[in-house]
Order: sequence, then C-alpha cells, then structure tokens
Amino acid sequence: MGPRRPATADGDEALAFRHASKQFGAVQALSDCSFGVERGRMLGFLGPNGAGKTTAMRAIFGLVRLDSGELLWEGQPIGLTECLRFGYMPEERGLYPRMPVGEQLAFFGCLHGLSTAAARTAAARWLERLGLADRATAKVEELSHGNQQRVQLAAALLHGPELLVLDEPFAGLDPVAVLTLAEVLREEAARGAAVLFSSHQLELVEDICETVAIVNRGRIVATGDVIALRRRSQRRRIDLELDGAAPEWRPNVAGVEVLGRRNGGVQLLTRQDVDPRHVLAEAEQAGRVVSFSYGPPSLAELFLELVGS
Amino acid sequence: MSGRRVIALVAAREIRERLRSRVFLISTLVLLLLVGGSTALNGALSRKQTYRVAVTSPAPPGLAAALQRAAKPFDDASVRLRVVASPAAGRQALEAKQIDALLLLADNRLLFRSDVDPKAAAVADTAVRAVRHHLPPSPELTPATLHPPKAKTTDAATVAAYFSSFLLLMGLAVYGQWVVTGVVEEKNNRVVELILSAVRPRHLLAGKVIGIGLLGLAQLALIAGLAAVLLVAGAFNAPAGLGSSVALVIPWFALGFALYAVAYATAGALASGQQNAETAGQPVTYTILAAYFAGYLALATSTDGLLANIFTVFPLTAPLVLPARSALVGVPLWQHVLAVVLVLATIYALVRLAGRVYGQGLLHTGPRLGPRTAWRLTRQL
Repeated sequence: MGPRRPATADGDEALAFRHASKQFGAVQALSDCSFGVERGRMLGFLGPNGAGKTTAMRAIFGLVRLDSGELLWEGQPIGLTECLRFGYMPEERGLYPRMPVGEQLAFFGCLHGLSTAAARTAAARWLERLGLADRATAKVEELSHGNQQRVQLAAALLHGPELLVLDEPFAGLDPVAVLTLAEVLREEAARGAAVLFSSHQLELVEDICETVAIVNRGRIVATGDVIALRRRSQRRRIDLELDGAAPEWRPNVAGVEVLGRRNGGVQLLTRQDVDPRHVLAEAEQAGRVVSFSYGPPSLAELFLELVGS
Repeated sequence: MSGRRVIALVAAREIRERLRSRVFLISTLVLLLLVGGSTALNGALSRKQTYRVAVTSPAPPGLAAALQRAAKPFDDASVRLRVVASPAAGRQALEAKQIDALLLLADNRLLFRSDVDPKAAAVADTAVRAVRHHLPPSPELTPATLHPPKAKTTDAATVAAYFSSFLLLMGLAVYGQWVVTGVVEEKNNRVVELILSAVRPRHLLAGKVIGIGLLGLAQLALIAGLAAVLLVAGAFNAPAGLGSSVALVIPWFALGFALYAVAYATAGALASGQQNAETAGQPVTYTILAAYFAGYLALATSTDGLLANIFTVFPLTAPLVLPARSALVGVPLWQHVLAVVLVLATIYALVRLAGRVYGQGLLHTGPRLGPRTAWRLTRQL
C-alpha cells in the first residue's frame, strides 16, 4: 500500500458519472448517480447484489443506455473511440472456448485497435506476466477455471487501457491469485490508468483502494476517500479486552451498543460524539483493561451502516 | 478504428474457427464425395439408354443387328426393334408411347412423337445405311415428328433454373444455420459482452455473415470446381448454355445469403439461453421455404405472369426467383436493376435493425424476446 493521497476535487476525475439514471421496467437500476475515478487511482465500487453496479459498468461501454444523466471521459461524452481505450472484464466471464489462448488475446487486442504484430507481442507479454506462457496454444476450454479467469484479465489489460472496468475481478480467485491481481491493479494505477472495480470483499477493497463508491438500490450513498468516509461516519468503534469483568458486562454510557463478544474481547459501536474516555473509565471499574482501541469504523462496518444489514 | 477493419477481423476469426473444426472439413469431404459419386452414378445410368424403334413389316434382314452396332458408340446404348403391320399401326404405337421412333423405310423417314432425338436419328441413319450398303455422307433418313415440337424451354435452362434456386436454398439452410449457431454460442458463452464493449453490433454482425458467407462460397466453389473438372473430363454431359445461366447464380447467391443470414443472426440474438440454435432459426427457415415455394408456384403457373413478375423484384423472393426466371425466359434489364436495388436496400435496413436488436438481445439473458419486445427495444435506442 502506498501513501494515500487525499481525495481531490471533481475536476480531476477522468471518468465521471453525472446524475446517471436507468430504469428496467419497474426496477430503478440507477438513480441520479454521480461519482468518478481519477487517473492513477483505484476506486472500489461497492454495493449489495442488485444495487446497480453491473448496470453502471455496462453503461460505461454503451451496453446499457442511460435514461438520463451522462457519462464523461475527461469531460467528453463516451463514444466507441473512447471505449477502445478502456479495458473491461464483464461480470459474466466469456471467451471463445475453442479458440487458442494466444490467438484469442491477439484478436481482442486487434479489436481494440492494436496492429496484429503489437497485439501478438502484448498477448505474449501478458501470458508471461500471468504465468500462462506455456498455454498460449491451448484452447480456452482446456484451461482450469482459475486460468480462464487470468486470460479474461489479460483480455482487459492487453491494449494498455486508460480506464480499467472490472466487474467482481476477485470473485472465485484463490488467495495467491488475489495477491497477483491486486498487484497487477496497483501497477496499472501506477502506470496512470484509472481503475474501477466492484467487489464484495470489503477488507480487500479497504486494503488496496484509496477511494470507494457505495451504491444501494441504484443510489450512490457514499463516495470518496476511504479514510475520509470512515472518519465522516456518525459512529465509532471500540475494541476492548477486559480481564475479570462479568461476561455480560456492558458500559453504562448513552449511545454505546455492543456489536459482539469474542475471544475474551468485546466490540462496541458508539455514536461519534461519545467520549471514549467515559467508556474506558467504565471498563477500568469493571475489571483490568488489557487493550483498548478507538477509531472510525472499518469499511465493512461503514458499508453495513450505509446499506443496512 | 475503422468499421471495415473490425468487420475483416471478425470475418477472419469466423473463417479460422471453422477451418479448425473437424465438422467443416469432414462436411466438405462428404460433399466432394457426393459430387464425385453422383457423377459416377450419372455415367452408369446414362449407359443404360435403350431406344425403342419400330419398323413396318417386312423388316429388312440384318436391321436389328445393324441398329445394335450403330447404337454401341452412343454410351453403350441399345435398340429394341419391333415390327409393326402398317404405318398406321406404327403411328398408333408412337402415339401410345410404346415406342420412341417409327422407321418408315418406304419414305426414308424417321418419325418421332414431338421432338427429334438426334442420337436415335443418328443411330437409325447409320444402321439403315449399313443395311443398304450405302456410304456416307448423304443421309438416308429424314427425321420428322407426329406433332409440332412443344414450345418448351431447353434442358439447360431448366437445369440452371432448378440448380440456382436449389443451391441458394441449400446454402441458406446450411450456412444460415452456422450463423444462428455462431450467434447463439457467442451469446450463451457470454463472450459477446466483451466484444460489444469495443465493437458496434452491426460490425460484429456483418463480419460474421461475411466470414461465413465467404467460407460457404469457397466450399461451393470447391465443389463446383470438381464438377467442372469432371465435366471437362467428359464424365457427364452438361446441357449447352449451362455456364452462362449459372453465372447469374453466384452474385444472387451472395445477395440472397446476405439477406437471409442477417435475418438468421437476428433470430439467434433473440434466442433465449436454453433455446437451441435450430429452434431459434426456424422463423427464418420457414420464411425462406415460403419464399421458395411461392416463387416456384408462380413460375410453374406462368413464367411471365403478374405473380412471377412481382416475385422477381420482391426482395424476399428475388434471390430465389430471379436467377431461375432469368434462365427460363429471360428477365428485362429494369427488373434486374430494380431487384438488386431493392435487395441491397433491404439488406442495409435489416443490418441496421438487426444490429440494434442484436446489441439488445445479446445481453438479454432471460426468456426469449418476442418480436414485439425486440421492436420496443429497438425504438428505445
């Protein structure tokens, strides 16, 4: 993790959703959504299932046409020319099953405007980078699920996109593959690409993203710098380890609720305006305090706070 | 990135993918064997030709043997000679189709029903001269017919007409199905979302249709090439003038294929995930069959009737009717031009419409989209 940069003003956003709305029948998939991603940054796009993440991502590529609002790339409406400079990994993975891996990647590279020679070189380079160099001539259907996923990723990255849009890229990956992918995404951001990806793995998102956008029922409920969002939360979290207290002990302070108890510790959720020293004082009266930590909620807690459990 | 390059890339991929598949190579081989086999069969069958000839009593001695000898060079044909009591009895037998020709030696005439068979005439002439010990070149017999020849088209025209419509029908059935299968597969394995993120639906569609169409034409050309080689080698006799009539078949095959393949692609895009490719293409297949039979009936009724004229230029029937009618009776130039213009316009409109339905339908994973839903989707765009 590099040092986090503070979130900047709207003007720096390379990709921008502006009041985007889309309705499918009776379902409001997107409702007045405004958020964006800067170049060189990773944005975690979070939300429960059916919140509108996939619709928003498809809208970037014109696969879904917005009812109202607009989608801008560097201030201009997005057309097919812009899309060629983007990389996409759809939620529903799909490749030609009977086409050899290397040839297939070169084909996608060409579709994105690379010359045949450049596409072949890029395909070979990415297969090497993702550890599939020896499978270039294998048909996609002969690969394991995990390896097919890597080819899918390579198809999104091959042409050096300026914007990467990845729908649930970490889903179904083993821990090693998760690390590799996180590293690749970090490299892409460092190269100057804007990276937008959706995920349900909130710890992971908190780990690798500077910024997030949280969507619920088609509405953006929070967007911006992860740290700032957490600090802006109306709640605080206290982790307390206490020896010698009654098992059902709870501090008698207004605005404090018990989140859970495990491993001899108790997790508390307090209102932001509650002074943690009152809680600590209560704890010291009840037993011996082994550890005490106070801070803004984690991204996962913030998510539950905003989206509702 | 130009649309042309995208179309070329997609078309090239379609061709490569099919050349890789064993099914394609085997089907090509089977078709080649079929052409070779049917040629051999054609040769075998044509050798069994038997001419039934009658002669008025008394028959000159040695005539039967002379006829047999004369027929031998004609693909091993044979002659069955029958002796009739009188010319009147012979005419009756000819009328009743019991014999093919009546030899009237007293008049030096060879009588046919309505058409002179040049081979039978040559056989009889040679035989009679042999019996009379006369030398060539003056002909002994004058061929004549009982009735004036029917005003009918030549074999070549009929074959060409039949061949062109049937070729297109078969080509559409086979290669059109490839288009549906390709579209349904692309939709079912979801690769289409990735492609459509970078490619306009109509370019994907055009590339697919062109790629498969070119491959289909190549396969047909290979088969036609074999047939041509066999023809030159004399394996079977082609009616004269076949070549020029067939020349019209190629461009109309391309036009007809483009028209219906686009429709097939649209049908594939509208298919649901579970629906197999055969079912998805059915509405288009029925339309082609309806067009084929409507055209056939119209031509059979009257090659120059109102319906035949309409079907010659109506875009859905033109590819099936125009080459056939042109081979049978000829089609005025303005109808050729009008038909081409109308078909091209229809293809253009269909590609645009299909491109939209395609883009929407391909991402639609629920139940099958009805035509009404598809139309509504189209209008939303």
